Amino acid sequence: MGRKILLVEDDAETAAYLAKGLGQEGHGVEIAGNGQEGLFRGSDGSFDLIILDRMLPVLDGIAVLKALRAARIDTPVLVLSALASVGDRIDGLESGSDDYLVKPFSFAELLARVNALLRRREARLTAADHRLTVGDLEIDPLSRSVKRAGKKIELKPREYLLLEYFARNEGRVVTRTMLLEQVWDYHFDPGTNVIDVHVSRLRRKLEDGFERPLLHTVRGAGYMLAA
Amino acid sequence: MGSSGRCCIPSGAPATCWRPSPALPTSVRIALLAGLLAFLSNLAVLGFIYWRTHDEAASALRGQVIEQGAVLADVYRTGGMPALEDAIHDSNSFGDSQTAVALFDASGQERIGNLAAIPRSPDPLRDGFRNGLLRFRGQTTPQQAALQLHRLPNGEWLVNGRTVGDSFALRQTIERSLLIALVVAVLLGAVCGVILANYVGQRIGGIVAVTNRITALDLSRRVKLTGNGDAFDRLGHRINEMLDRITALMDELRMVTDSLAHDLRSPVGRLRAAAYAAAETTDPAERDQHLTNVLRQADSLTRMLATALEISRSEAMTGREQFTWFDVGALTDELCEMYEPVAEEAGAGLGIERPAGSLPLFGHRQLIAQAVSNLIENAIRYGARGGDIRVLSHKDGKQLAIAVADRGPGIPPERRTEALRRFGRLDSSRGAEGAGLGLALVRSIAHLHGGDLVLEDNAPGLIARLQLPLTDEPRHPPAVPAP
Repeated sequence: MGRKILLVEDDAETAAYLAKGLGQEGHGVEIAGNGQEGLFRGSDGSFDLIILDRMLPVLDGIAVLKALRAARIDTPVLVLSALASVGDRIDGLESGSDDYLVKPFSFAELLARVNALLRRREARLTAADHRLTVGDLEIDPLSRSVKRAGKKIELKPREYLLLEYFARNEGRVVTRTMLLEQVWDYHFDPGTNVIDVHVSRLRRKLEDGFERPLLHTVRGAGYMLAA
Repeated sequence: MGSSGRCCIPSGAPATCWRPSPALPTSVRIALLAGLLAFLSNLAVLGFIYWRTHDEAASALRGQVIEQGAVLADVYRTGGMPALEDAIHDSNSFGDSQTAVALFDASGQERIGNLAAIPRSPDPLRDGFRNGLLRFRGQTTPQQAALQLHRLPNGEWLVNGRTVGDSFALRQTIERSLLIALVVAVLLGAVCGVILANYVGQRIGGIVAVTNRITALDLSRRVKLTGNGDAFDRLGHRINEMLDRITALMDELRMVTDSLAHDLRSPVGRLRAAAYAAAETTDPAERDQHLTNVLRQADSLTRMLATALEISRSEAMTGREQFTWFDVGALTDELCEMYEPVAEEAGAGLGIERPAGSLPLFGHRQLIAQAVSNLIENAIRYGARGGDIRVLSHKDGKQLAIAVADRGPGIPPERRTEALRRFGRLDSSRGAEGAGLGLALVRSIAHLHGGDLVLEDNAPGLIARLQLPLTDEPRHPPAVPAP
């Protein structure tokens, strides 16, 4: 499942670290050291994903992003930034990026987001059947109904959204911040374990009375829905 | 005069340097202007006086001459020539050197009287009053006079008149006085101008001195106020207010950097200790545990920095460009739904109280969400034992209130200010997790919206109330889109 990823990052140490990690996951990574080079290499549209640092020499990340989008390059872009405030995140997302990750971050977090973005692109390209299935779990996004082994499971609206997001990222790690951003649309960092509580409630509803677990905890990273 | 030529601080761009203009100094200009104004106003008044007196004197003289002529004509009409001759003799013998009365025959030859020759200026002679020259008998030079000619029925000419010597002298006196008055007025004006300029200069100089001290980074000085509430006082007052605000901001900044430096010491210390422990140990399981601890400490540190940054940004009013209209009611519903399971696990119920319908607010949705979630988390963390937690939102006149009320131990009134302060941790034993920034962040978000955070007694428990003014934004709230 190797993909072509362009990493635009001026800090050589960070770039090498990320390239190594993504390489181990089977992705081919090319590194551009400044914004101009990043724009030049990214504008042929041959990459599956661009990881773009916000603060770059020559041409800053947001400018590169805007130039790419103006040239109708719709490669998913993940922006990395040391600018951590809520306002900065919203700014970054509104300038056309697909995701925004604040430095410092764990590699697990980056990987989870990279995979989610790659998966989203794939799903968009193949326009799959609208029904989602994970093992014996069946989800119908149109009627918002969920069945496991033919038995209907009652979910509250937010629980359903949570499950659908998990299902669309089946077999991939999903982090707590990703859930907060994607399911609740909040871009701040809650101090409590609020996401964990919701996930464990959902897990109880999905797994009570069944042998096999579906919703797994991935230590140090987040959660994963997998049969 | 205090217009010193002191330049900007050395680091400033030279192009923006202020230098006194090469023209006249302000004090001299004000003095000149005051002098000129005094000159012009006095000139107007004096000119009027001159014109009036000049006119008065002339018309008085004319009246006298015409009256005298009429009297003499009457004498001739009633008493004939002999009576007239008597009257002329009487008048001449009176010895008034300014009054002229004389008779001339039809050819202009002098008959009787004190004039040497008939005034010839209009030729031929005509009846009537005019100003002209009269030569007295025994004098060689004619004098300026008001005079009247009257032709008697026998063809002779009666001339009477009065030299203007007297009134002329009076006029000259008045004119001289007026001129002196004018000079005095101009001098007085200039003196007043100098005094005025000095006064203004002193008042401004005081303000300039204070601002110069500010440029030299001394913020302790204040503009002295006279207390009479004039324009200078008002200016000084505004400058003092501005200085108070700047001082407060700088103090706050210093406090934040100091407390950041201080408060970062312990988490960084813990982080270092955990890393050191992981490096020292040989047991893989133990190392794993230590490394997990390292990550946890690093995350907590990151979170703390992000919060401190968020507070500074909000206090600096950054982020207002991301304000939008949103429904506070829907937001609190959403947050309650989000935190309800957490509250339940902590043994508390999370209830909501709000009016039906929407509560539109023009603000930063993400930051308000963060503020309210901070308040709810606080209530769960410290007030869950009391049971019932309520999230209340309502419109109160021109402001919107969002409050979170718990039944926990509350905060005693004397400690509430401390609770709102950055790093103002009430419970120092709380350890690594609570950095004491939560309420400070909520308050800074309230400030960003022009409102405030108020802590009140819930008897028992705590009410933390966000009070946000409802502004009349130019764009009226559209129907709030469904989330």
